[in-house]
Amino acid sequence: MNQARIGLLVAAALLATPGLAQAQDKPAADEAAPAEGAKGGEEKPTEGGEEGSSICELDPSQCPQIDIKEMAKRPIQAQMYAVQQKYALRVRRFEFNPYYITTVNDQFVSHPGFGLAGNFYFSDVMAVGLNFNFNSFSMFGQNAPNFNRDSEFNAQTRRASRIGVPLTEYDWSTSLNFTYVPMYGKFSGFNYFIFHYDAYVVGGIGLVSNRPIAVIDPDNRSFQSKLHLAPNVGLGLRIFFNRWFAAIFEVRDYIFLDSLENTVIDANKPQDESTWYAKDSTLTNHVQAQIGLSVFLPFSFEYRLPK
Amino acid sequence: MTRRFFQGLVPFVGILALSAEASAQEIQVTGPLAGAPPVRQLRLHRKGRFELAPVVSFTLLDEYQRTILVGANLNYNITDWLGVGAFGSFGAVQLSTGLSDKIQQTYNTRFDRTGADYQRASEEAGRRLTALNVGDDFKSQLGTINWIFAPQLTLVPFRGKLAIFEKLFVDTDLHFFVGPAVVGLTERAPCGPGTGVDCSARNDSPDGPGTGTVKSKPTESRIAIAPTFGLGLTFFAGRWTSFGLDWRALPFARNTGGFDIRGKGDGERFPDNKVDDKDREFKFNQMISLSFSMFFPRELKSSE
Repeated sequence: MNQARIGLLVAAALLATPGLAQAQDKPAADEAAPAEGAKGGEEKPTEGGEEGSSICELDPSQCPQIDIKEMAKRPIQAQMYAVQQKYALRVRRFEFNPYYITTVNDQFVSHPGFGLAGNFYFSDVMAVGLNFNFNSFSMFGQNAPNFNRDSEFNAQTRRASRIGVPLTEYDWSTSLNFTYVPMYGKFSGFNYFIFHYDAYVVGGIGLVSNRPIAVIDPDNRSFQSKLHLAPNVGLGLRIFFNRWFAAIFEVRDYIFLDSLENTVIDANKPQDESTWYAKDSTLTNHVQAQIGLSVFLPFSFEYRLPK
Repeated sequence: MTRRFFQGLVPFVGILALSAEASAQEIQVTGPLAGAPPVRQLRLHRKGRFELAPVVSFTLLDEYQRTILVGANLNYNITDWLGVGAFGSFGAVQLSTGLSDKIQQTYNTRFDRTGADYQRASEEAGRRLTALNVGDDFKSQLGTINWIFAPQLTLVPFRGKLAIFEKLFVDTDLHFFVGPAVVGLTERAPCGPGTGVDCSARNDSPDGPGTGTVKSKPTESRIAIAPTFGLGLTFFAGRWTSFGLDWRALPFARNTGGFDIRGKGDGERFPDNKVDDKDREFKFNQMISLSFSMFFPRELKSSE
């Protein structure tokens, strides 16, 4: 007999589960039903309300005496925070961020590539980390992939105006970064779902390895890569898919003094490497856009205060 | 239909974003918020309101000349997520790039009769070979965007709020726009065989007629039709004002430098000594716009 009861309870529970979800579309009707049973605040509990009956029989002082309709009419002074608990806390979490790179401000040579960043958030809004960008793997051999692409525009301009524009290709760069997250928020998508995002500023200092592409005198010049000290600043947007997984869009400007190819050929010493570079360094803003993924570790966290 | 689409999309996104906690957050099948819309008392900044926005736009990735456009955006927002309107703007300021300055500087050196290298054969070859492409005033031959008029649809699928420094809270939306654009352009006028115009015409000099500086290249105006699309963020600063930041693309072909670069050989990839429509190259023509919007009527309503 007990087994049958248990079986029925399980079956009822299974049936009730989807029923609950449907019923929630009309919360007002559901909530109104017991009020009608209570008949304007009479002390008699509803029929079939075994729990209520039991309480009233055991301790009449605990028997419900609330007029639900009247209670529903009470003015509510609900205080809502504009953005309640942050969806994803960052404090004391590591962030790993693989990303794809594309050039933003170089019409002459595009420098696509791949990068990896790691950050540790020592507060919820500040992090320290490292990132590495790879635009070429030529340091591993001449046949290794090189993502730098010389635009056809360069050849057209050289042909039309007989002017050589010094070009540069990038190998890799790395930087020690500090990140600050002053902005966060949430979006309702099509008024159907909600996702959370934050915006951050990032800055740091690091190294850029690059070399000129021989344009002015390619017969005699062959450049080796050089390292340049490069501070950088950037802005980013992170869209959370869940509390540990997000998409990242970032724009970063690497600023450094670049050594460009000398546009003048020394007719007496064309193969002398000291004559290949321009006398003055050129301040270069190498701006790249990054799109990538962000993974926070550990995956879970606990809020300090309840919601 | 839209609801069914998103009902299909939600599980897909859920699978991609596997996390027990996230599921508990996003699929609230129980509790007082079950079945409730994501936002109650949503401030309807757009619905049923006209939007007038002065706009300033800055072109991106220009090879020879940057343009600052000044104009306005006028929209009527039918709902909070759909608006119709138009974007209009004219090129108020043209700024030459470093490459243009260098081309002009090299031209000036090449034609400087007092220069030490003027008599060298290589310099004379430079003057002769570039005469078709580079005129006395290089900036005047550059392709220029004069004005843009674009009727457009604005879609606002994402609406939310932004906390800045945990003190300042701003209603924000992410919008997309799309439409046809009519673009007024100035480009180098056609020249070369069959046009009756000499592309390499030069002024007279003490050395003889037609041996001096290169005459400035004539230009002409034309109208291009192109699609335009983009996306942007709107930050609602008040009940009837907002700031906007948009990215816009206007993909179409044009001749930005006024050069003869195509028309002959395999795939017409080599110069044909003519400047014509074959020398136009497809450009994405991107720009960033900043705007300040005013909404009318000024009264702000909220959803249920």
